[in-house]
Amino acid sequence: MAFAPVLHAEWLKIRTLRSLPGALLALFAVTTAFSALAGTDGSSDPEFDPLFTALSGVLPGQIAAISFGATAVSSEYHGGALRLTFAAVPRRGRWFAAKMTAIAVPALLVGLVTACTANLVARAGLGSAAGEVTTGEQVRGVLGCGIYLMLMALFAAGLTAVLRSGVATLSLLIPFILVVSFVIGDAAGTVADFLPDKAGQIALHQTYDGTLGPWSGLAVTALWTAAALLGGAWSVRRRDA
Amino acid sequence: MTSIEVQALTKEYGTRRAVDDLTFTVLPGRVTGFLGPNGAGKSTTMRLVLGLDRPTSGTATIGGRAYATLREPLRHVGALLDAQAAHGSRTARDHLRVLAVSNRIAVRRVDEVLEETGLASVARRRVKTYSLGMRQRLGIAAALLGDPEVVLLDEPSNGLDPEGIIWIRELLRRLAGEGRAVLVSSHLMNETASFADHLVVLGRGRLLADTPMRDFIHARVEPRVRVRTTDATAFGAALARHGHDAVEHEDGHWTVRHARVDDIGRLASQAGVPILELTAEEATLEQAYLDLTATEAEFTAQPQEA
Repeated sequence: MAFAPVLHAEWLKIRTLRSLPGALLALFAVTTAFSALAGTDGSSDPEFDPLFTALSGVLPGQIAAISFGATAVSSEYHGGALRLTFAAVPRRGRWFAAKMTAIAVPALLVGLVTACTANLVARAGLGSAAGEVTTGEQVRGVLGCGIYLMLMALFAAGLTAVLRSGVATLSLLIPFILVVSFVIGDAAGTVADFLPDKAGQIALHQTYDGTLGPWSGLAVTALWTAAALLGGAWSVRRRDA
Repeated sequence: MTSIEVQALTKEYGTRRAVDDLTFTVLPGRVTGFLGPNGAGKSTTMRLVLGLDRPTSGTATIGGRAYATLREPLRHVGALLDAQAAHGSRTARDHLRVLAVSNRIAVRRVDEVLEETGLASVARRRVKTYSLGMRQRLGIAAALLGDPEVVLLDEPSNGLDPEGIIWIRELLRRLAGEGRAVLVSSHLMNETASFADHLVVLGRGRLLADTPMRDFIHARVEPRVRVRTTDATAFGAALARHGHDAVEHEDGHWTVRHARVDDIGRLASQAGVPILELTAEEATLEQAYLDLTATEAEFTAQPQEA
């Protein structure tokens, strides 16, 4: 069977489930709102990073991206939905690739638009404090932010396929991002930099001093995501539906 | 013309054999009733045919090919496994559109099957507002979407109202009449008797019977004749002369075992006994099924759910 019809079907599934476009809308709204809020707080903090301040709305906003990825997959684990899906598309590897593409593309596009908007809104608020970020750094921050959000959505999607439950995935990832990563991230040094969220967030900073740079940081997040996707693909192919 | 071929099919879950060395063929042009108590392995067999579960050994094929190798399988095989398969937050029409698109089936078919299953007027409502019967109809609509030569329905009359049950009966007869292979599982005997031509009966994962329905019933249930007469003495004497085994009931009617109406009618006429009523007692599938399962000792020890 060809890939295009399967991808079309998966895209239609995302479009026709109200909560999924809703999650993408929330990603935009929450990120922009929190970035705008951060922009009003012209800081005298010596560690003040104007690029990260402008994009800091991503920290709460990424929960929407994670929910998007997890829900898009978990909707297949309700009732006998996955059986019907596999009856229509018995090539499970191809189906999984289509599902992940249908998650990645909208997450990336909405992520880029969100990052761009958040950056502009927050910089307008920051005024002169935002001045010293170059255009190159802003483009890198916005691009990195879009890619980061896509990777987090895929990470959640892959993990949901492994755990076969959206609730399990969200109750694992959200506390991890809000608490564990936050607490350990400040306490520990270099090891914490390699956590899936921390590594990718380096791309959102103007200055960075760890072992990882913006792109290598995203590469580490991409490795985590790849691991989750491989696990998910393995689970989907191996198990009885 | 496409059949379902099941060859030495076995599926083990841990140490439990859900399907045990099963071999049968579902032929086109007739409705095959798939009978057995809950847990006999009917649904597992259907999942194995659809390539959803992997068999421990043996094969299940559709027209000689494994389901997973079919290009655009919904055009060849339509299945209803679980009425809960449609996501509650999607509309029925969107649910069917997704399936149609994945197998490059014209979207026109979506509206056709919605019409056919009587859901056209509620097609744009979310599935969570549907009753069980409506979900069942949606599942059947999904099975018919690709105009398949092979149709598998797991308990299709679940949750249907009386009109729905009559509708499904006529639908199944029509599908078989159009030359399709139709496999319908059920644990309702009277229901199955109303549409099946052929029976495949499972018990504890094993094949207990694979015969035409009429033969199945006639081989297992003795023919009986019900008689009412005004002259019991003369009738009893006439029966005894011809060696018939008969019982007179309290309300005055007789049951003659191992007999046909033709014989008893002639006999009564020759004896000059006035007859008020003379009917063949129709053997039911239920009786035949219970007779079969009673001979399976280990199987009757197993409590059966309704």
